[in-house]
Amino acid sequence: MHWAGRALVALASAWTFSGGAVIAQPAAPPDPASPPAPAPRTITVTGRVIDRLGSPIRGASVAVENVADRVTTDRDGRFKIEAPLGATLVVTSDRQGAGLANVTGPELPDVVLFDLANEKIEVGGEAPTAALGTTHLEREELQRLPGTGGDVVRTLNAMPGVVNVQIPLGYSGVVIRGSSPQDSKVLIDDFEIPLLFHPLGIRAVVPAESVQSLTFIPGGFDVSYGRSSSGIVLLTTRPGADETRSAQAELSLIDGGLLAQGPLGKHTRYMFALRRSVIDFVLPLVIPDSVDLSLTTVPQYWDEQLRIDHELSSAWNLSLSSVGTDDIFELFTTKDEDAGSKRLFSRTRFIRLTAAAKYHEGDWQATLALSGMLSELRAEVGLYQKLDVRTPLVTPRVLLTRSMKEAAGLKDVVWSSGTEAQIGYSSVDLALPLERREGEPFPPYDPRDTASHFTGSVWFPDFAAWTSIAATFDPRIRITTGVRADVFGRPREVAIQPRGEIKVKLTDTLSSRFAAGMYRRPPEFQSEFLEKDVKSERSQQATMGLEYTPILGVRLQGSLYYTDRSALITHNVDGTLGNNGRGTSKGAELLAMIHGGTWFGWFGYSYSNSVRVDQPGGAVRLFDYDQPHSLNVAASWKRDHWQLGARFQLYSGLPYTPVVGAEFDSDRNLHIPISGEVNSARAPIHHELDLRVDYAWKWGSTAMLAYLDVQNVYLDRSVVTYFYSYDYSQRSAFESLPLIPSVGLRAVL
Amino acid sequence: MNRRVVIAVVVAGCGQDVDPPWQLDHDRVMAVRITPPRIASGEVAEVDALIGRKAQPPTVVDPDTAEVVSPTRLAGVLGRRSTRWTVTAPGDDQLDPARRELGLAPGAPVPLRLRVRFAETRLVGLKIVWLGEHAENPVIDPVTIDGMDGLAASQLSVAVGVDIPLSVDFDDSYNINWLTSCGTMHDFDLAKAHLRVEPTDPQSGSLAIVVHDVLGGVDWHVWPITAK
Repeated sequence: MHWAGRALVALASAWTFSGGAVIAQPAAPPDPASPPAPAPRTITVTGRVIDRLGSPIRGASVAVENVADRVTTDRDGRFKIEAPLGATLVVTSDRQGAGLANVTGPELPDVVLFDLANEKIEVGGEAPTAALGTTHLEREELQRLPGTGGDVVRTLNAMPGVVNVQIPLGYSGVVIRGSSPQDSKVLIDDFEIPLLFHPLGIRAVVPAESVQSLTFIPGGFDVSYGRSSSGIVLLTTRPGADETRSAQAELSLIDGGLLAQGPLGKHTRYMFALRRSVIDFVLPLVIPDSVDLSLTTVPQYWDEQLRIDHELSSAWNLSLSSVGTDDIFELFTTKDEDAGSKRLFSRTRFIRLTAAAKYHEGDWQATLALSGMLSELRAEVGLYQKLDVRTPLVTPRVLLTRSMKEAAGLKDVVWSSGTEAQIGYSSVDLALPLERREGEPFPPYDPRDTASHFTGSVWFPDFAAWTSIAATFDPRIRITTGVRADVFGRPREVAIQPRGEIKVKLTDTLSSRFAAGMYRRPPEFQSEFLEKDVKSERSQQATMGLEYTPILGVRLQGSLYYTDRSALITHNVDGTLGNNGRGTSKGAELLAMIHGGTWFGWFGYSYSNSVRVDQPGGAVRLFDYDQPHSLNVAASWKRDHWQLGARFQLYSGLPYTPVVGAEFDSDRNLHIPISGEVNSARAPIHHELDLRVDYAWKWGSTAMLAYLDVQNVYLDRSVVTYFYSYDYSQRSAFESLPLIPSVGLRAVL
Repeated sequence: MNRRVVIAVVVAGCGQDVDPPWQLDHDRVMAVRITPPRIASGEVAEVDALIGRKAQPPTVVDPDTAEVVSPTRLAGVLGRRSTRWTVTAPGDDQLDPARRELGLAPGAPVPLRLRVRFAETRLVGLKIVWLGEHAENPVIDPVTIDGMDGLAASQLSVAVGVDIPLSVDFDDSYNINWLTSCGTMHDFDLAKAHLRVEPTDPQSGSLAIVVHDVLGGVDWHVWPITAK
């Protein structure tokens, strides 16, 4: 044990730690008149040990104060130990020093160890967030939030800054700070995936059981992330356990899955998961016979996740991971399955395979990764409309980081640099109506309209390089600055994006942060990549705010942001695409998380205003996903076999463009709507209460868990959007489902 | 409508509070007809329309007003003779400048786009008349209703609670609409459809078929219908 660690253990009997601050507390003399206090209840405690950069510390020793038995953290810095409630855990690491943590419940917040070179020890904080406004949730927390059904999609909706809708129809990504879905990226194990949701937005393509953690960055992210002009969602797949193998099965009304994990020899561990929808068995039972519908292939999906980790040496770790999904349905809006004009077919599938080698020795860290993805998007509507896009994509990436105690007179210097390429080749065969862009009215459904057609192939070789440096200038001031250069090969464009952040530690528990930077999104959404003259969309983001961690397990953060968007891709008068749009987003976000003992609490609120102009001199209008108010309040209590939770949501409806009339086009045999001002009306506000109950028990050697997650328990039926009759003379509300129960059963062998 | 919304609406069983597209008991323009739909130079075409009215049988009417939307240089070809709106195809001396304006090949037929208004201008229709070549409207024949020749019947009587098969002999290139104000129409936009009248439905009304071809031609047929 490090000498300072031993000294700390000696001190621990006379000192306790609270909220990272050391408080003198001389031991009180025993009172002989008092009866002996009951022995505290011993529980199983889990936690994680990380360094100040948020990296897990492996091999750290964790022991109950004054108890000889100890456990060692695994490769993810995790530990599990039996300890009495209220006891102090002593955490020591030869490399990173030592720290203490109080046992307040079965799950402890991250224990952050600081290098002892500065003779300064802080205990019990949380890892520094990637950017102001960032939210990080571990798997256990993802599964604990009521109203989510344990699903990543619905968990994301609780994040301040994410646009919340009952059913995320019409897009497959995440809408952040009122922009458009395509402006943000979803990364799994640091690499992009093309879609996050299955159709109808009911399920993420990755189940929470296969996720280690979710990090949501609404903006202001550093130069190591690119190709996004809004925010980033990072999902990390779950590594297999170090010591014991386990298999588990889970079944709900929507899908069922299997997951196996554990060690493969001394230095290797694995996780493999497979999930299949079961809603395709349920759906035909609930659709009335009177509906003119033939579900030839009922909506069904398969998801797979694989991860293998291998420790090559003390410095090198290898990993191989894969994420894939296959989504298919075919239906006829008639009982006659020979009627090609009434056929809808869709198949979306992708598989991404990533191999990575990570090096960590002394001050140096390096990551060498190679990721490849195959994706296919096919859709056929009636006799004339079709879409068939198949894309192989390869992404090599190199990342190098050096952390130095001192350099050039600065302290805690972290230099990072990286480069990557993203080279893809799409073969495209499409015949569709002219695509609808942001803010444009929905065109009438014309099954014969194939105004937009393309058959051919497209290369898109993109490259990026970045470098950044972070240093402490003063004990309270830390500055990070960097620059990223993207080369978008298809439009032949070089994008230089400087970014930076200043963090000022106002007190031991209160910090302020200010970040600003430039961001680009390449033209790759819908048919953008088919036109060589279309350039990337740009944004300039500025964020400022405060982070407050008053006590262990409590975190408050508030931020203000302003984003200026330019070169937004819009339709020209002749139907081609151009970079003529501009817009701004501004707002405020507040998040409070309480995680201590048996309680988990969540308060998130965001205010947002997003407006844009589509052509120079055009009218100012709201973005399609402008949502002024979004509130999420949740609490969960966990004890023994039971976990109970509740969540209240309240959020503004989305804007829409009203239809004020229509003309009947006799040659096309359809009505053409006459639209009012773009996004001049708004759907009503929505509020709901969600409840969740979990019950865990042992069945022989099998750990069982049953849960009931009910959304919208008091049946608020608010409007998601409106749809119109064939001639636009009548409209009807598409309402959220009144009550959405999610029942599931999990068994872990 | 977004494909996902279509599926969601179908699956959720929503949309019960708006009239379906086959509902005749509704104020609407069902078809605008030009007779003939394509006219050579010197020929004259007449404009009329099939209009649906709530609680009334469909009627064939002349437009209250008509105007040329494009090309406006040919606005003079639209006129009114007595109560009928007519279009007279001009010679190439007028058609050629219009072809150049529209980027058409020499000799190509020129689309003259009309806006017509009905029912005291509340209902609006758009229709193209093709100038420079001749074509006739399609003819709906035969029509089979419940196994019998529909064109031979002046009034239809159908049974309650059974599927009544309806069919016409057109391929997928034709745009076909079966409409009714009596019962529920299934597969209303296919050549083979069926009607079902339940006891809770209105027991009398109208049945109509409207067919559009790809050349701009249109034909329709309307029957009074009762259910027993």
